[in-house]
Amino acid sequence: MSLKHTVPEEPRAPSLVPPAVAALLSLLLPGLGQALARSLRRGLLLLFSFATLGGLLAWRIRLAAPRDEGAVAIARKAFHLQPFLLFNALLLLLLYLWIAWDAWQTARRTEGAPVGIFALVLVAFFAVGWQVGGIDPVRFVTQLDEAGPPLMRVLWPWERAIEYPQEVQIVKAPILSPCTGEPFAGGQPKEGEPYLLTDPTCGNPSEQDGTPGTTFTLRGFGLEPNSEAEIWWEDPIGNEFRQRQEGEYVTVQTDAQGNFEVQIVMPYRLLPPSAGEGPKIWTVEARQVVSVGKPQASKELKLAIEKIIETIFIGMMATFFGILLALPVSFFAARNLMSASPFTLVIYYLTRAVLNVIRSIEPLIWAIIFVIVVGLGPFAGILALTVHSIAALGKLYSESIESIDPGPIEAIQATGANWIQTVRYAVVPQIIPPFVSFTIYRWDINIRMSTIIGFVGGGGIGFLLAQWIRLLDYRAAGIAVWFIAITVAILDYVSAEIRARFV
Amino acid sequence: MLEIRNLTKIYDDGTVALKNVSFTVPDGEFLVIIGLSGSGKSTLLRCINRLIDPTEGQILWNGVDLAQLEGEELRKVRRQIGMIFQHFNLVKRSSVLTNVLTGRLGYLPTWRSLTGRFPPEDIQRAWQALERLGIADQAHKRADELSGGQQQRVGIARALMQDPKMILADEPVASLDPVLAHSILQRLESLNREDGITVLCSLHYLDLVQRYATRVIGLRQGELVYEGSREDIRQMTDAQFKEIYGEEAERIGAGGGITGSIEEHSARGGAA
Ligand SMILES: Nc1ncnc2c1ncn2[C@@H]1O[C@H](COP(=O)(O)OP(=O)(O)O)[C@@H](O)[C@H]1O
Ligand SMILES: [Mg+2]
Repeated sequence: MSLKHTVPEEPRAPSLVPPAVAALLSLLLPGLGQALARSLRRGLLLLFSFATLGGLLAWRIRLAAPRDEGAVAIARKAFHLQPFLLFNALLLLLLYLWIAWDAWQTARRTEGAPVGIFALVLVAFFAVGWQVGGIDPVRFVTQLDEAGPPLMRVLWPWERAIEYPQEVQIVKAPILSPCTGEPFAGGQPKEGEPYLLTDPTCGNPSEQDGTPGTTFTLRGFGLEPNSEAEIWWEDPIGNEFRQRQEGEYVTVQTDAQGNFEVQIVMPYRLLPPSAGEGPKIWTVEARQVVSVGKPQASKELKLAIEKIIETIFIGMMATFFGILLALPVSFFAARNLMSASPFTLVIYYLTRAVLNVIRSIEPLIWAIIFVIVVGLGPFAGILALTVHSIAALGKLYSESIESIDPGPIEAIQATGANWIQTVRYAVVPQIIPPFVSFTIYRWDINIRMSTIIGFVGGGGIGFLLAQWIRLLDYRAAGIAVWFIAITVAILDYVSAEIRARFV
Repeated sequence: MLEIRNLTKIYDDGTVALKNVSFTVPDGEFLVIIGLSGSGKSTLLRCINRLIDPTEGQILWNGVDLAQLEGEELRKVRRQIGMIFQHFNLVKRSSVLTNVLTGRLGYLPTWRSLTGRFPPEDIQRAWQALERLGIADQAHKRADELSGGQQQRVGIARALMQDPKMILADEPVASLDPVLAHSILQRLESLNREDGITVLCSLHYLDLVQRYATRVIGLRQGELVYEGSREDIRQMTDAQFKEIYGEEAERIGAGGGITGSIEEHSARGGAA
């Protein structure tokens, strides 16, 4: 903006102070020079702007360096952490100097008032807003590739939508302990089935004093390929426990054929006297979790379907109750029906006021209120949306009642029809199209709102979505997002169709 | 016979729309009410079927004072008085047939009429009325799809359904062009002549008045300032004319008698 831009103004009386003094005064207190140059409002405006900007800047600087003491330390820390604050400070300094120069100019002039300085004020406010808002376009770009993978999961979440039923498969081989000298068969190869072989097939457990037991070479064949298997034991009295080695559970990885080989030391196990003396059969096991059977809908998919149904019904029920209650209310809020007497007029103003207040409170806030009253769940959501619908529909309905043509009413009355017949034949046909149209519009809004009312505990799919996002389960969240998008798209189509039929 | 005695209407805002108006209308008359816009024509017609409550005076119709009637009694009288409006006052979104059928509402029990199903004999009657007015082929159209002239015929059909003894027509042709004006007034005339229905009609154009009226009354600022027969109006003098329409009004048109019109609304009355 050019500095020569001036707003026309009445010629002023000459300044009370010489220009130099005015400038000096404005250096002492921004705007004081202008005030004494008989531009009081200009001076006040500049003082107010300067003070506000200074206060905001001080607050942001303190916020950036909350633990430091001493003005210099605070400023240095803050400017170091957030260089943009330095830019803010420079703008403020520029404004400070400009105000002084402006005071000098103002004192010299008797007419006109340049507005360039207010452009600077606006720029300074804008810069503070930029800082307060934490606006950071660089971050938006640089973090995009980090955000990529989770976003991709949201965009294409369907891997999470199916799952396979799983089962623990156990492959066993017997081991004789202690050895008897006679050969013991141990695990045997089996055709078409997974099996374990051990070498040797007999041995001794570890001792309590730490003496290691027999080391076996355990080989597995034909297990689930490329997956993990846990090694377990079953002692002679039937207790099952996992093989530990060097403090860790032993887990092996099968190769592409489903084979593995691992060295294991027979563990220590205290057997009760009742177990008896003499050689006994131990069992070594490889356990795997394997998928069996056909793919199924995942738990998340089922939940999402359940909740999207709940969502649609929240929207539907709220719309239904909303219509039901908005209808009578709209009659009280229609001026043409209520202007008959001062009493009815008071009802009209009251209804209008209440509707306006209710409408100005967002459905999400209503949901929070109703969660307190009736607890978490769809009912709170229905109540919240119903209340908001009554207010919104009440206003729209009453406005369409107000705009009906009185001509047909007069004509039907003139035929000798009574009140209710007049309403049926002259009023209803006129208000049905706008009512249908507003109702569809509201239904639309209610379904959309019901998808997020769950964020505050009002039931429906929003609850799941919020939960999954917090658990960083982006695939599951993606399923919810997709369901919401599909529902809203279908709804858009349906309401457009209904509108085309009725209106 | 309709006898208006000392009828006065003062609106809530203090406007005196009718001042002590008295006149008599024998049965079978085609009475035309003339007067400037704002002279009280609509107020007078609406007082008769009590769409407006008169402030003072009597409206004696066959000995019954309509001004005193309330509720059910009033509705029973209203159903014998058809009304036709300048802007037709049809229910725009309803079908022509439904609009005509509403003329029967005064004869139907409430519960019955609420379903929207009218008795077969009423539907029969509606078709006859549409037939008579030449718009039977439009019966299933929405009322607002019809032209102005057709809509006014629907209005007449609706009035006809009431089986009326009297028809009040408030500037029935003011929104129509002159050719249509004649066609509408001819239909009113036929109802008047053939069915013996008394017609009270406010009109703007003098040539229409001369052509259709059997009697004329003139209103000026709510006062009755003229009363005459069809012959009287043919011989109306400039003085009488100015009496009704004010000093500044000019008669338009030449030739013997009054063939011009009062320049009032947008259109001119010189019919083809
Ligand atoms: N509802 C009303 N409230 C107050 N004044 C009215 C109302 N209707 C008509 N008037 C006034 O009454 C006078 C007569 O009006 P009206 O009967 O409509 O005349 P016309 O039909 O001859 O044009 C006019 O001055 C008009 O402004
Ligand atoms: Mg009028």
